[in-house]
Amino acid sequence: MKISALRLHNVKRFAGKGVALENIQEGVNVFCAANEFGKSTSFEALHALFFQAHTSTAKDVRSLQPYSGGAPMVQADIVTGNGRYRLTKRFLSSKHASVTDLENGRLIAQADEAEQFISSLVRGGTAEPAGLLWVRQGVTGIDQRDKREEENEKRIRESLLTSVQGEVEAITGGRRMSAIIERCSEELSQLVTDKLKPKARGPYAVAIEERDRLVAEEQRLRGEVERLREALDQRAQIVKRLAVLEDAEEEASRRSAVEKATAVFEAAKAHREALKAAEAEARLAHSQLEKAEQDFVAFRTASKRSKELQAELATVEEERRNALARRNEVSLAMDKALSAAQAAAAEEQEARQLLQRLDAALKARQAAEELILLRERLQQAEALRASHEALKAELANLTLPAGLIDKLQKLEVEIAGLRAAKEASLPTLRMQYQPSATVGVTVSGKQLEDGAEQSFDDLVELEIAGAGTLILRSNRPADADAMLLRKEAERRKLLEAASLADLAEARAREASVQAKLSDLKQLELRLEHLAPEGLARLRELVAQRELLGASVPDVEGDPEVVRTRAAEAAQKLTDANGRIREAQPQRSRADDALMAIETRHAKIIAELTQVDSVLGAADARASREQSLEASYFQQKQNFEELNQKVEKLQLAAPDLAAAEAALQRARSVQDAANKEKTNLHIKLAELNTEIRNKSDEAVEEAWREAEDALAITNERVARFQKEVAVLVRLRSALQQSRSAARDLYLQPVIKELRPLLNLLFDDVSFVFDEKTYLPQSLRRNGQDESIEVLSGGMKEQLSILTRLAFARMLAAHGRPAPVILDDALVYSDDDRIEKMFDALHRQSRDQQIIVFSCRQRAFSKLGGNVLEISDWRPEA
Amino acid sequence: MLKFIHSSDLHLGKRFANMPEEIRGRLREARHAVLGKLAEAARDHGASVILIAGDTFDTETPSPEIRRQTLAEMAAHAPLQWIILPGNHDSLQASQLWNALQAEAPANVVLAMEPRPIMLSADATLLPAPCTTRRPGRDLTEWVDNAATPDRNIRVCLAHGGILDFSEDGDASGIIAPDRAKRSGLDYLALGDWHGTMAVDPRTHYSGTPEPDRFKHNEPGRALAVEIPAAGAEPIVTPVETGTFSWSTQPLHLLSEDDPAALVRQLLPEGVKRRQTLMRILASGRTRPDGRASLAATIEHAAPEFAFLALDDAGLETDCEAGDLDAIDKAGALRIAAEELLTDSDNTALSAAERQVAREALLRLFSYSQKIAS
Repeated sequence: MKISALRLHNVKRFAGKGVALENIQEGVNVFCAANEFGKSTSFEALHALFFQAHTSTAKDVRSLQPYSGGAPMVQADIVTGNGRYRLTKRFLSSKHASVTDLENGRLIAQADEAEQFISSLVRGGTAEPAGLLWVRQGVTGIDQRDKREEENEKRIRESLLTSVQGEVEAITGGRRMSAIIERCSEELSQLVTDKLKPKARGPYAVAIEERDRLVAEEQRLRGEVERLREALDQRAQIVKRLAVLEDAEEEASRRSAVEKATAVFEAAKAHREALKAAEAEARLAHSQLEKAEQDFVAFRTASKRSKELQAELATVEEERRNALARRNEVSLAMDKALSAAQAAAAEEQEARQLLQRLDAALKARQAAEELILLRERLQQAEALRASHEALKAELANLTLPAGLIDKLQKLEVEIAGLRAAKEASLPTLRMQYQPSATVGVTVSGKQLEDGAEQSFDDLVELEIAGAGTLILRSNRPADADAMLLRKEAERRKLLEAASLADLAEARAREASVQAKLSDLKQLELRLEHLAPEGLARLRELVAQRELLGASVPDVEGDPEVVRTRAAEAAQKLTDANGRIREAQPQRSRADDALMAIETRHAKIIAELTQVDSVLGAADARASREQSLEASYFQQKQNFEELNQKVEKLQLAAPDLAAAEAALQRARSVQDAANKEKTNLHIKLAELNTEIRNKSDEAVEEAWREAEDALAITNERVARFQKEVAVLVRLRSALQQSRSAARDLYLQPVIKELRPLLNLLFDDVSFVFDEKTYLPQSLRRNGQDESIEVLSGGMKEQLSILTRLAFARMLAAHGRPAPVILDDALVYSDDDRIEKMFDALHRQSRDQQIIVFSCRQRAFSKLGGNVLEISDWRPEA
Repeated sequence: MLKFIHSSDLHLGKRFANMPEEIRGRLREARHAVLGKLAEAARDHGASVILIAGDTFDTETPSPEIRRQTLAEMAAHAPLQWIILPGNHDSLQASQLWNALQAEAPANVVLAMEPRPIMLSADATLLPAPCTTRRPGRDLTEWVDNAATPDRNIRVCLAHGGILDFSEDGDASGIIAPDRAKRSGLDYLALGDWHGTMAVDPRTHYSGTPEPDRFKHNEPGRALAVEIPAAGAEPIVTPVETGTFSWSTQPLHLLSEDDPAALVRQLLPEGVKRRQTLMRILASGRTRPDGRASLAATIEHAAPEFAFLALDDAGLETDCEAGDLDAIDKAGALRIAAEELLTDSDNTALSAAERQVAREALLRLFSYSQKIAS
């Protein structure tokens, strides 16, 4: 939307008069007029046209009216994407609104429809800022605000970010939102804490406390009522029961029942005493009867027993005699066998000793014979041994070291070789005598034979008779015979060590050693023959024989005879022993039999003695038996009589236990009734007191009252709960919506704001957060400065820039909106204003900006389309 | 010829703690005043006896003051005779009460504590069926079938309890045979318990309470003046208004376009009657936010003139239209919040309670925005 003309009639100071601003164009339009020249009036009229219903009587509308009264009228021509329209509104006394299509002059809407048309122009989609953006002198936004609010805003909007935020909220309707949220929170805070707990001493908490108190009270009273009802029921029961208990007839019947039962019981008791006495008597008679019977029976039994025992005794004595005879017989046989065995044993012993002695004598004789032979062998062996020792010693001296002969042989050959070589190399001399020569030449006194060649070693002195001594010198080298000499020395050493003269002797010695070794072998063989187990063993054997044969016992007899005798004796002994073994069990059996019989005998005697003592003297026995029998029968009769008496009594006896039980029951019925009566009276008195007290307190009324009060309080608490829920729900809806709006606009607007800021503040650079686009800090002359506190000028500049940014954004969305400024730059210095103008022009390329100002001088530099006010008369 | 006043359910001593404190005293006082009104009705109709068919007292333990003042009031109207029957609220189980009444009753007060004939006059016998306990669980009037009365005597039975499956306390354990009058040859069966006046048949009547104590019946307090010309003749029953206060619940069904304030004004009585009126407006249907506000304001405005006036609008739905939201804001974050709340208030995915909270929150937003704007 763009505005192309504004006309007013009868508005404020233009009472009864019309003025117009025609020819408003795209880009920057400036209406610069001195104060009170209609600048603010035009601005307010324009605002009323777009934002006040023609039916409104709000303060803003009433303020349009001149002092003289009448209906203010405002008219604007606008251009939208759909065409050109004329909007006209008349307020107050002649309410009217209309929209005319300027293309054809047709009226297209009136009254409410016209209002709808206008509001659709300024209203974006939901949550968008209005289609006109306003900045007014000194303040941001157009709405009326009180001083406190203004102060508040200053305090809040001190930083760049909060300032821009505030602007965005102002444009998107956020301030009413804040007021409502505040109102909502205020109401909520009266009820609950920040954490939504009931606030102490708040009405909600008070209601809850009251409810809790009433719950307890109601419970207490209900308990009381229940107790009272219980008491009433109990009392009714008690009264009923007492009526029964205290009935005179009932009491009399209880009494007579007791009396009757007592009489029955007493009779039964007397009968029981009589029975007891009779029973005691009968018991006594019975015991006497028993005694008599016992005595009688005992006598008879003893008598019978006595006879039996006598017979038995006779038998036993006969048996005893037999047993004694038997035992003696057996003992005799036994003794005989024993003595036979003893004799046989002695005989055998003797024969064996003799046999042993004969054996010993035989052995001694054999040993003596062997000893002679062995001694002879020992002598021979010892002789052989001596010669063997001697030979061995001889051999030890003769034996040459191993390899000596070979070594000597080798040296001999070498020496012969060396000597031959020497002979060959020695100078030789040979005397050739003249056949006439008489004088010989001697060497070392020895005459040289003629023609005999002789060699010499180093020097030879030829004594030539008569002629002197011819000394011949060979002049052989000094060591010419060294090798030979060394070998010879070696041979000499070897020979000396073995005490040998030469090799031949060595060979002879070797031969004699071999002969002696053979002799030695011979000796050894013989020795072995004589003493195969060694000489020591032989000596031992000799010693043994010497010992054996030392004493030969002097015993005569044939060993075989003796041996037979011994065997016979042994057989006899065995036989005797067999007989003894046979006899032994027989004797012990006989002993046992005898012992058994003796025991029986003793027993019979003892019993007989006892029985006889019972029976007493033999002659008095018959009379005694008669008297015992008589006594028995008498006692028996006595007892039977008494017993019959008891039985009769027993048959007639009443049931005492039953009588007693009946009496007890009758008494207990009476007692219980009396006791119950007493208890019931006590209980009744208690209940009466309790019931009277409670009734006088009117507990049930109090209970019903508490119940009703509780119901009311419960409702009240529920209402508070709901109230809290509603307020919380509302607050959260508002807060969410507000933060959504902030998110929706803040960032895009700041994005748009950024180039504008840089344009305006070329000496200042803003640092923006890359992600959120929010300004972070401000840098001036290379210094970071706090952006916490902004100057008034900067704030109003920001206010304008924010709207320009919004306008850009709206234009980008295809809904261009005019920006209208009413002396919006009062705090800014001229320098800054010029920069602001640049920003406006830059922005106005695709934007309508209408500037109202009274600062003519400063705004002359703004440029743009200058608007002039002209007179106007509305059509009739 | 027998003339008497039939009443019941006086509930003397009821404290009305569920009512605002200011009117409790008046309500209690009105209960006591009814004794005088019954006596006046008796005198007006030439009756010499007043039958109270149970629940004379609200509880089994009325305070001594209530008891004594009641007896004193009754005594003051001698020679009028009062016959009091134990009801379920003041049954014979409350022996303390009945013992005390026996001890204190003046000569013109007869306590019908036993099912035994009481001679009203030479030609009329009263057959009372006192409540033995709070819930007797059997028909206490059964004995009347075989109760012998002198020949050609008028037979009147006095009983307390329900006759069908209804009962004032919703407890129908001791049902009185509805044809008891016919079965027992009664000329009149005077019943108590039901707080509304009701004729079961020409000879069987509930008098209803002479002074209402709840919103249930929407009827004025009444007693019955009964005239029986002779034994076997049909009784002539005349209702007599005795109530001081009028209790009622008025339904108010609204359509979206209705003006709730105007409609509710039609329901409200005019003038001084308001002071004696306890009224509940039970709103249902649909209305716009401003309609709701104006309804509440109307009630709020009228309430001080009434003994009690309350609006129950839990069943009243609120219709919101774009225009209503415009009143909050035409655009912007406020409008968005309002629309969100409106959506939630009809969102069936949410619980009924959540929807209602959203609806209330929207109405609250509406009222805040009105206040902030003005």
